Amino acid sequence: MRKYLEVIKILFKTQITYRFDVAMTVLFTFTRILFAYVLWGAIFDQREVINGFTFPMMLSYYIFSSFLSQIEMSDGVSGEIAGRIQAGTFSKYMIIPLNTQGYFIAQTFGAMAFYFIFILPVTILWMAVLQLGFTITGSFSVILVTILMVLLGLLFMIQLNYFLGILAFKFQEISIFLMIKGNLVAFITGTLVPLHFLPQDLVSVLRFFPFYYVTYLPSMLLIGKNEEEAFTGLVVLSVWLAVFTLLNHFAYNKLRVIYDGVGI
Amino acid sequence: MIIQTTNLTKTYRLFEKEAGLQGSIKSLFHRKYTYKTALSDFNLSVSEGEFIGLIGPNGAGKTTLVKMLTGIIAPTSGDLSVLGYYPNKLENTFKKQYAVVMGQKSQLFFELSAGDTFLLFKELYGISNEEYKKNLDYFIHLFGVETLLNVQVRTLSLGERMKMELIVALLHNPKVLFLDEPTIGLDAIAQRQIRSFLKEVNETRGTTILLTSHYMEDIKSLCKRCIVVNRGMKIYDGSTEAMFDRYQTHKKITLSFTEETAIELPQNCVPVEQNPLKSIFMVPLDISQEIIYKLMKEYSLSDISIEEDEIGSVVERIYNEGQVKR
Repeated sequence: MRKYLEVIKILFKTQITYRFDVAMTVLFTFTRILFAYVLWGAIFDQREVINGFTFPMMLSYYIFSSFLSQIEMSDGVSGEIAGRIQAGTFSKYMIIPLNTQGYFIAQTFGAMAFYFIFILPVTILWMAVLQLGFTITGSFSVILVTILMVLLGLLFMIQLNYFLGILAFKFQEISIFLMIKGNLVAFITGTLVPLHFLPQDLVSVLRFFPFYYVTYLPSMLLIGKNEEEAFTGLVVLSVWLAVFTLLNHFAYNKLRVIYDGVGI
Repeated sequence: MIIQTTNLTKTYRLFEKEAGLQGSIKSLFHRKYTYKTALSDFNLSVSEGEFIGLIGPNGAGKTTLVKMLTGIIAPTSGDLSVLGYYPNKLENTFKKQYAVVMGQKSQLFFELSAGDTFLLFKELYGISNEEYKKNLDYFIHLFGVETLLNVQVRTLSLGERMKMELIVALLHNPKVLFLDEPTIGLDAIAQRQIRSFLKEVNETRGTTILLTSHYMEDIKSLCKRCIVVNRGMKIYDGSTEAMFDRYQTHKKITLSFTEETAIELPQNCVPVEQNPLKSIFMVPLDISQEIIYKLMKEYSLSDISIEEDEIGSVVERIYNEGQVKR
């Protein structure tokens, strides 16, 4: 476990190397909140409630889902794996005594740690300073379930991106897979528009897929909505996570033997 | 034996496409592949504590061999055992017993200091605090890099970075160290430092070292045993000294003249480059002194340099001799 912790630490250290980057990221947290405030403020100017959402609810939803999509940094996993396989430098991970899947999970959590340590407190601070109306569930158990769901969701996304990355052993060029995944995820996770606004039949289908529970449901739970879906969410996510963990284990062992390490 | 290979063979499948637009469209519908044997029926036995040089021209199969010995790639056929393990199984217990340094690839985190990477590797290899401190002190003093430990890797010179790469690789006391062109691109001073460092590690720690290099000096000063690979086949395996005695048969002489000169090369000399102000040629080793003396007497020289035969020429002679025997 200590070795994974050290991977988390080293990735976190790389995130805070450049002061200007850190300062700008923190600053943009403020602008994001401000833009959301202005945008949704204009929309809610005419009506008090849209589709069951009040202005503070919508703003809170946006802030939660935006934060969750920011900490979901697994995109880098598929890019890095594919890039290194293509360049012949993936061997870097094959020669160290560490499970490759575990390394990438730890690496992503290391990058994520930056957002928990810097962005979360700053977001809370700005909201307090700007005195924005804010809605959050009062149920401690819902918050705990949400944290667990977020964790499972992040792990699933890392596994998905790991799977797409190691496909480069076979296909070399995987940008088409990444593009499909990117579009799908942006839509299904509800980052663009709350899924609540979509036709209910479509939303029912989406509930069988893990993306629904990565950003959308945790954000809804935090503003006190959809609590009845929490348990189903944990089950669906756990099943998908288990499937992809096994799939990755077998796919990696099968595909890595065709690796030629060309480029070294 | 610490390393043992029998009939080790690696064949790569290469995608082939005719040049031009027509070729690109054709290859959309009909894929064409060729097969290239990078290493063929390669037999190798290495004992503990040996320092072996692996030489050969580009594309000879040296790096392919190192990649198979470290488990990075799987062989196409043949048997392979390193420290009793089949490398491509990638077992952690195996990985903890060897290290590999590739001249142009890095394990260091460029944004951070080398010290940060050392801490990561301490945990990855489960090195105890005492051993880590002892090894780190030993290596940083040996290399004289005490003041560079906390400097961002990105700002280090190539030579300094290579020293750090070697320290990362050796922190866990590996039994076998694979080095693929560790001195490539380094200046003469850095090359010499790295050579003396490797010599000390081999002699005092008993680390088995397999070194691939294009530099004659690396092989001559470090490796008692040398293996020559050409076109995927082993064409020499034996004493380095004997190999150079037998196959390093020429010296390369460069003469620079004070004024335009038409030089008449003595018999047995092979011209490499000739112009009125400069003449480069190869001279047989046994008559080199006599010829140099004669040329210095006969011509007005502004400079003269005498170099040893390049590794490439030595390999070529071994290869040609093998062809003739066949």
